[in-house]
This record gives sequence, structure tokens and C-alpha cells, in this order.
Amino acid sequence: MVIAGAFIWLGVLLAYLHARRPRRARWSDQAAGRLILWAGAVFPTTVLGALLTYALWLMPGLRPWAEAEPPGLVVEVTGHQFWWEITYRTADGAIVASANELRLPVGTPVELRLASPDVIHSFWIPPLAGKMDMIPGRVNRLTVTAERAGVFEGACAEYCGTSHALMRLVAVAEEPEAFRAWLAAEAAPSPGVAAHPEGRDAFVAEGCGACHTVRGTEADGRVGPDLSHLGARRSLGADTLPLSEAAIARFIADPAAVKPGALMPAYDMLPDTRRAAIAAWLGGLR
Amino acid sequence: MTAPSDAERRAAEEKRLRTVWATPKGWRYLSAVNNTEVGVWYGGTAFVFMLFAGCLALLVRAQLAVPENDLVSADLYNQTFTLHGTVMMFLFAVPIFEAVAIYLLPAMLGAREMPFPRLGAFGFWSFFLGGIFVCGSIFFGAAPSAGWFMYPPLATDEEFTGIGADIWLLGLSFIEVASIAAAVEIIVGVMKCRAPGMRINLMPLFAWYLLIVAGMILFAFPPLIAGDLLFEMQRMFDWPFFDAERGGDPLLWQHLFWIFGHPEVYIIFLPSIAILAMIVPTFSGRPIVGYSWIVLAAVGTGFLSFGLWVHHMFATGLPQISLAFFSAASEAVAIPTGVQIFVFLATMLAGRVTRSTPMLFGTGGVAIFVIGGLTGVMVALAPFDWQAHDTYFVVAHLHYVLAGGMLFPVVAGIYYWWPLVSGRMLSDRVGRIAFWTMFAGFNLAFFPMHLAGLWGMPRRVFVYPAEAGLGLVNLLSSIGAAIFAAGVLVVVFDVLRPKRGAVAPDNPWNAGTLEWAAQADETWGLRSIPRIESRYPVWEQPDLVAELRAGNGYLPDAEEGRREALITSVLDAAPEQVLRVAGPSWLPLASAITLGGVFIALTFHWWLTTLVFAVLFPIPLLTWIWTGTAEIPEKPAKPIGRGETLPLYVSGQSAVGWWGMFITMTGDATAFASLVFGYFFYWTITPDLAAGHEGPGPLWPMLATALVLLAWAATVAARSWNRGGAPGLARLALIAGAAFSLCGAAAGLAGPWAAGLDPTAHVYPATVWVIVIWTVAHVAVGLVMQIYCVARGVAGRLTPAHDADLRNTTLYFHFLAATAIVAFAVVGLFPLAL
Amino acid sequence: MFHLLPREIESLWTLFTAPVIWAAHFLLCYVAAAFACARGIDLALVRLGVAGATAVALGGIVVAGMLAWRQWGFGSGDPPHDEPTRKERLLFQGFATLLLCGLSFAAVVFEALPAVFLADCRP
Repeated sequence: MVIAGAFIWLGVLLAYLHARRPRRARWSDQAAGRLILWAGAVFPTTVLGALLTYALWLMPGLRPWAEAEPPGLVVEVTGHQFWWEITYRTADGAIVASANELRLPVGTPVELRLASPDVIHSFWIPPLAGKMDMIPGRVNRLTVTAERAGVFEGACAEYCGTSHALMRLVAVAEEPEAFRAWLAAEAAPSPGVAAHPEGRDAFVAEGCGACHTVRGTEADGRVGPDLSHLGARRSLGADTLPLSEAAIARFIADPAAVKPGALMPAYDMLPDTRRAAIAAWLGGLR
Repeated sequence: MTAPSDAERRAAEEKRLRTVWATPKGWRYLSAVNNTEVGVWYGGTAFVFMLFAGCLALLVRAQLAVPENDLVSADLYNQTFTLHGTVMMFLFAVPIFEAVAIYLLPAMLGAREMPFPRLGAFGFWSFFLGGIFVCGSIFFGAAPSAGWFMYPPLATDEEFTGIGADIWLLGLSFIEVASIAAAVEIIVGVMKCRAPGMRINLMPLFAWYLLIVAGMILFAFPPLIAGDLLFEMQRMFDWPFFDAERGGDPLLWQHLFWIFGHPEVYIIFLPSIAILAMIVPTFSGRPIVGYSWIVLAAVGTGFLSFGLWVHHMFATGLPQISLAFFSAASEAVAIPTGVQIFVFLATMLAGRVTRSTPMLFGTGGVAIFVIGGLTGVMVALAPFDWQAHDTYFVVAHLHYVLAGGMLFPVVAGIYYWWPLVSGRMLSDRVGRIAFWTMFAGFNLAFFPMHLAGLWGMPRRVFVYPAEAGLGLVNLLSSIGAAIFAAGVLVVVFDVLRPKRGAVAPDNPWNAGTLEWAAQADETWGLRSIPRIESRYPVWEQPDLVAELRAGNGYLPDAEEGRREALITSVLDAAPEQVLRVAGPSWLPLASAITLGGVFIALTFHWWLTTLVFAVLFPIPLLTWIWTGTAEIPEKPAKPIGRGETLPLYVSGQSAVGWWGMFITMTGDATAFASLVFGYFFYWTITPDLAAGHEGPGPLWPMLATALVLLAWAATVAARSWNRGGAPGLARLALIAGAAFSLCGAAAGLAGPWAAGLDPTAHVYPATVWVIVIWTVAHVAVGLVMQIYCVARGVAGRLTPAHDADLRNTTLYFHFLAATAIVAFAVVGLFPLAL
Repeated sequence: MFHLLPREIESLWTLFTAPVIWAAHFLLCYVAAAFACARGIDLALVRLGVAGATAVALGGIVVAGMLAWRQWGFGSGDPPHDEPTRKERLLFQGFATLLLCGLSFAAVVFEALPAVFLADCRP
């Protein structure tokens, strides 16, 4: 389309430049009228009709319908201001909660069920598929199939508030066996729960469990992202900061400084060491 | 005749014309209503708002010049881009075409003035007041910040938006008023105020384009008005139209907004391309080739543009087959759009082109526009748009079509018509510098955005990550934006600099259309009204200009000291009436200020102040209507020159007042239809519309319908009896009609009231209430009209022979009756069918 | 002699006949499909309806086009129709109306294509 467009544009431009030349043959009225008819009406109608037909023919195949073929895996992705709640539902009934990083098995159609409880977001990972909005009051379904393994970057594609620009998304596609292994590990508590007991206790004592879930502890809040395997993710805060203990500590201290408009309260009243301990524990949850 | 008395006659005529058409001096200048003044005010104000929005854009580009920049906070950035879009679209793009139309249309049509000068002035002052508020908000950190199309639920979230969303709605309300007013003026002006003999096949193309655009406004703005009503009801009173938890749907806003929004961009584009349709023939030295093709293009685009709106919603998850219908129409609209490009080319090829600054801007505009059109064809296809939607690709597309299709042609128009407006030429040299700077800057700024979008950069982001590889394209864009801004400043410089030296010659471009027969140094527009026999009268009717200036046309004089215009028939412009149009008046300004006071006080929730202004507003409004409309002339007819005599008073279907009412009510009906659409939209998405809430039942609504129909019948009877010579009986009928109106309004409200419908509980009661309140408010206005007619009759200003007020009131009641029948059937009877 | 349609259709509104037919066809197709999909009704019925509506719309546009051709004097006068006479004004109206019929015909065909390629309510 781009090449054809460039040619059309060049053609029109050159025609105009030719028309501006002071010394050239004048066209007759009839010839000029024929130009309008053929170049201005018939040619565009034909080209546009062909283009439209092609696009319509493509459409059903680009967005397969889960109702026609039941998907092997259903993932509920719920957009929040400004993070992604991800819940895996396998065919055999397993339900695994996660956040901010989407994992997919290569070659398997996955039905994404997209929803939002607050404002309109939009799910968009360009290498995987076109975008689909997440609209309060409806569940939109998008079936994607990762054709190859790799890491794919995406972003929220509908302005959703102050930190819309910081609501990015990473999808990781891996071979089906690796994915199954990952999912099983994700469902279970992280082995890192036992490490850094000072941090774990501080996490619970400060009431973080009211909003966050960490499997293997009594923290089971659903207001904020699931942190059970935070340490295994590539980034923090929906791809806002690269994952590191220092980044976690910084985020906890003042989420709104990292992500303006974030709903998580600031914990800058904590002594630095306490925060560092929590960050160390969280960072160890692989 | 002997020469001295001829010259004396002419001098006396000119003296009277000059007096009558004089521009008020000193502070009275603000009471001017003449299209020349109002046009200049509109244009100047729109331009200032454009420069303001341009500064906001520079701020955006400064922030995005490097990755992860912290020049401005996220919140300020969000206000900045929202306000940039809002101001450009509502306070510049639409008003600038209104400015050009109001200024130039009368002269092009061979008229001296628009048909309703005070309406135009009122529209301007509303726009001015609203614009100041909207632009000023950012200095208080109170600008809207949810994007220029303000999607709920984000935009209805009080905590996020603060007062910003209400300010956005406020500004919009003013623009809506101004635009409907402009639509009324333009349709009546183009259809009824052309010079005698200017049949529709001889009308300047600018008039054709503007006629279509005005019609589009009538059908495009009202859905926005309806949407705004729902939006504000939700924000102010928590009526849950867009709240999914209570049965509402955010998508309804998107539908209503884009049913407006898509035609809106063509409303912006068509008048500007119309400028090119006037410029190209002049600089090709010949009439346009393909006049009928242009009519095809204008009408075709006008209609097809209403079938595109869901292409802004391709990612919302609607069924593909629904989306596909809109892809189809979006592709189809490119056909008439492209035709125009080839009409200009054909005209140039069949003529001999003279190079000039207007042509430079025009050709450059076309070059830019075609790129935008081609990317438009791409995003019109849903599969492509699923990737491109809400990315910088769309930002690039929209700026290419707006800059190429609107901004560059408008600048071309400024260079072209400047000698007519001010009597001096702008500089060709400075113009060339401005053009190349703007052209280069624009392309450098916006072309890389195509790439940024395809590489994954979403819209409305205050930062982008360093690793995304978007740094270079963004830096180039920011540099380009600065260069483009410099080019715009060069134009501003050229316009504002003091121009010493020679006054511009008459018709310096040797153009053929009628506006060039006007004199820049006189306030009367045309010295006398011509009889038209050609599309290019200045070229093809020899001695036309000289004859007109000698006062040999129609209406060469102002013997009674009044401003006068000729009203002619629609198809063949046969003279029908002499219309006395308004001179300077404070009433439009007073009306705009009081109405503005209502909107502004509402925005800040100052209820008492709102009430005060609501009481004040009818005073200037009713004074205006009472003293300045349906005036009974001192004699039935007067000679207009060239041996012809025309009536001074006409009522009924030929009268401009009747047309004004019909056009306004068509817009009103469209807004009402949008509300009804909302009702059925909710029913479509949830079959159980009422969700357990009781409806108003059939009884009260049917009673209300019956009463309103009786009010209608009484008004119709009054009109016949009055015309038949029984004005006293007519007044009794009107009083009875008013009583029926009052009872009908009460019965209408009783329905939801008696059923205890709580509009905050669920969207169903809210929708029923909003439809009922709309209808009852209209019944109340009808009641005021009925009383007004009684008062006019008693005061001797409404007689059997002079019944324009009553004819227009009856027309209003026809629309009201239809509204009531539909409204009460929908809320009262439809639930029974479920 | 009795004519089914008046010899001359002396109104500006007839210019819009074909685009109005397009608009009605468009609305019918979209509303039918949107309603059917929202309520889970089988699209086969809608696609049939679109086919029927398309046939009717195209037929209507052809009729309007024939009337426009007649108003244009059966192609007797080439544009520009810029003489200041009633006859030329009528020729102009006929020609412009005919052009609009052509555009509307193409637009209705475009509009019907989705029903050919899309058979279900997939989002």
C-alpha cells in the first residue's frame, strides 16, 4: 500500500507541477473533463473497490473466533489504572493469578478475555495482534497465536489517565512444555517466600497483604497486582522500571513519584532498612 | 437627464448608503453586527486561539523531543495535549470557516449582508466568551485532561478531571450555539439572498460548498449536543448514562461523539477546499472545469461522511461485520474527495497558470493533503487500523489532512483576499519565505510520526522509553515543529506589519467572481446589487463593475435610512422581497453575556448565580425578538431600482424567518432523535432495558400527547382564524393553546414522577427522564411563543396581513407535536411491546 | 396525458435522491447487523436482507439516474451549463444528479461487500 501510495502521490504532484509551467500546451475543456472522469472518479473507484475487497477478505482470518474453535487456553487480562491483572484458566480447570507480564505457549491459540473495572484501556502487543479495547461493562475476546518464541513489547493503547504512558506490557512466548512448566511453577508459591524472613514479616505487618497476594503467605489482597513471582518478571510497574531490588524499594517509597496517579499509597514513612528488606524479599520471589 | 443632476443624485445616494451602513465608532464599535465587522472579529479571534493552541503543541513537542523527558509533569502534559486538540478543533478550525463565510459570502452572492446579522454577532460573542474560558483554564491548572474527545468513564470521573471536563463542556456549548447560528445564516443566505439572476447553476462554488457544510452542521452537531447533555447530567447529577454498573455504556458516548466527530472534520475540510475552488480559476485565468463535479464532490462527501463514524471505534470489539460497513463507507468517501483534486488539476491544465503566493500555498496544501488522504485510505481498512489506531500514525494522518486540507488553503485565502479586506497587498516575498518554512517544517515534524506509530508509539504519552528506538523520529518531529511554528509566525508578521506604500489596485489578481466588485474602502459592500448572468460576472459581464458603482443596479439607495437586502427565490434567484436587516445593536452581546453567565455559573455549580442569569437572559433575547423581527413596514412595497417593486413584508414559506425556524428545528429534531437513539441503543445491548424499574406507564404519556396535540391544534386554528380576519378569536385560541401546553407539560412530567423513577439508580429511569424533560422544556418554549403571539396581537404588531410570528410559531408546533408523539410513545408505549 | 412522474421535477431536493437511498441502505444494513449480533440472531437472515436491500437500493438509484438523465436532456448538452437560462439550470441539475447517482451506485456496492465476506458476529 505504501509503495502504491507513494506512486500515486508522486504522480499527482508531478501533474500539478507540470500544470504550473507557463509554457505548455493548453488542454481542451473536453480533455480536461475526461481527466476528471477517468483519473478522478473511475480510477479511484476501481482501486478503492479492489483494496476494500482485499481487506474484507482478510478480516475473518485475522481475528479467529473462539466460538468456532474452542481455545486451549483462556487468559483473562483485566486493565487497571495502571497495571495489568492476568489470570490463566487452563482447559483442565487450573486458575493461576499473575500480573503485568503475559506468558504464552508458541503455536497454541490463546483466547484473551479483556475487561476493565475502571476506565477504558486497550490491549496491544503489535507483533502478536492488532489492538482490542478493554471497556467497563463488557468482556472483549481476542484470540492470539504466538508464531515463534520470544519477548514481545506492547502498551496500553487507549488513554486511561495520568500514567497511561507508563502502562506497558511484555509478553513472553515459549515452547508449550516450557510454558506448562512455568504455569505450574507460577501456580505454586515461590521458593523465595522462605528467604528474607525479615522482609516477609515486614510486608505482612505493614498491611501490604490487604492489596497484594503472595502465594505462600497470608497476603491475599486483590486490589493491586499479584506479587507471588515478582522476582521472575523482567520489569516493575508494568514495564516502567527494570526489575531490581533498588527499583522495588524506590517504588514502595513513593509510587506516585514513579507513576503519577498510581493508587498505591506512599511508604516513605518506613525506615530505609525496612523498605530494603521488603524489597529484597520481593525481589527474591522467583 | 442633465449631467449635474445625475451626479448629484448619485452623491446623495452614496451619502445615504454611507450613513446607513456606517461602522459605529468608539466603544459603540462593539455593537456592530455587519458581516464585515463580525467576519473580521471571528477570523482574528480564531487566529489568536490557533496561535495559543500552537504554543501548546510546541510544549508537547518539547517534552517529547527526548525520551523520558521531565520538562513538564504528566498532569500538565495531559492538560496540554487535550487543550491543544480542543482549541484547534473547536475554537479555530470551525470558527475560521465561519469567519470566511460571514465575511465573504454576501459579497460573493451579490448581497450586502447576511440575512440575520445579529444572529451572527450573537454567535461570535458566544464563541469569544466560551473560548476565553476554555483557553484560560490551563493557567489555573483546570484545563480538561482526558483527550479532546473525552471518553467516559475516565472523563466522567470527578476525581481525575476536576472541573476540567465541565470547562470542556462549557466551551463546547458556546461553539454549538455559534455553529447552529452560522448554519442557519449560511443556508438562508445561500438559498434566499443571492443577487437576482444568480441561478443555482451560476452560484459560486464557495456557496455550494458552504451550503452543504451548513446542512452537515445541522445533522452533525446535534448528536454532540445530545451527548453533552447526557455527559453533563452524569457529572452534575450522577445520572448513569455511561456507567456500566448501573446499566449505562461508555460506547454510547463514542457513538454520539463520532457521529458528530467524523462529519466535523469534513465540515472543517470542505470550506477550505472551497477556498481553493475560488483561487484556482483565478490563477488559471479561466472558469473552473468541472463545476458539476465539484457539486458532486461536495454533496457526495457531505452524505458519505455520515457513514464513517465507527472507524474511530475499530478497536472496541464490535462485530467485524459492523466495522466492515464503516470501512466500506470510509473507502467510498475517498472518491468524491479525490475528484476535487482532479478538478483543480484539470482547470490548471486547461488554463494558463500565473504563479502567486495564494497558488503556492494552495498547491502545497494539495501536496500535503494527498499524503493525508492516502494514509486515510489505509487506516480506513480495519485490519490496518487494528495496528495503527491510537498510535502516532493516526496523529500523522490527521495532521496531514488538516494542515493540507485546511490550514494551507486558509493561508492561501488570507493572501488572496487580503486586498479586499484591507485594501493592501501582503508581500509575495515574505509569503514565499513563510510557505517554504511552513512546508518544510510541517513535513519534518509530521512525516516521521508515521514511522513512530508503526514502530509502536501510542498516542497521548507524556514520555516514551529510551530503549524503544523512538528518540530520533521524535527529535526530528520536534525540530520540524519549531520550524513550522516559525513559518506561521512569518505569516503573522506579514499580516500585522504596518503596510506603507501603495494601496492595492481594485481586483489585483484579475479574478472573475463577484466579491471583487466590492470596494474595500467603503462599508456598503456593493454599491448596488447586480443582475447576474454568468458564473464569473466580473470576467464575462462587461462594464458590470462600472455599472454597479454608478448605482445602476438594484437597491442603489437607502431612502428610508434602513439597511436593506434583496430576498430571491431558491432555484432561479427571482426577486421576491426587500428585507430590512439589522443595524448596530447591543442585544446580541447582552444575550451572549447572559447566556454565557448561565453556562459559566453552571460549570462552577453556583446555583444561585445560574438562576439569576437564567432570569436575565430572556430580557435581551425577547427585546431582540420583539423589537427587531417581523417588523410591520410603513408601506407594503418599495421600488428597488431598474423599474421593479418588491414587497417589504413576507410571511410563510418564502420568508427568511420561517426558513430560520425550519432550519433550527431540523437541528433540534436531530438532537432529539439522538436521545431516542440512546434509548434504543440501551435496549439493543440489554433486552431487559428496564431491569426491574417501573416505567411511567402508558396513561400519563398518552394524556400528555393528547394535550400537546390540542395545543398544536389550537395554534393551527389560531393561524387560520387570524389570516381569515378574526384576530380576536385567534388570540383566544392561542390562550387556550397555552393552557393546553401547560397541562401537557405537567402531564408529561407526571408520568415518571408518579412512577417514582429515580434517575440515579439505573440508566433506564435516567433515559426516560431525559427524554421527558427535553420534551417538556420544548413545550414550555412553545407556551412562551403562544403568549408572545397574543401579546404581539394586542400590541398591534401581529395582524391578519402581517402574521409572520404566528406562522413561525405554528411551524414550531408542527415539530413539537412530532416530538411529543415520538417521545411519549417511546417512554409510554414501547415498554408494553416488550 | 397522464404521467406517472411529473415531466419536470422542479426542486433542488431531487439532487439528493441517490445519496439518500445510499444513506437508507447503509443504515438498514448496519442497524440490522448490529441488532442481530447484539441479540444473537443468525446472520444468514441479515445477509439475505442486505442482498435484498442492495437490489432495491441499486434499482432505486438506477431509476433516479434515468430521471436525472432525462432532466439532463438525455445527454444533449455537455457541461458547463453556465448560461443564465432556466433550461441550462435544469440541464445542470440533471447532470449533477446523474453524477451523484453514479457515486451512490458505487457506494452502495461498496456497502454491500461486507455481507459477502463476513458471515458471523465475530469481533
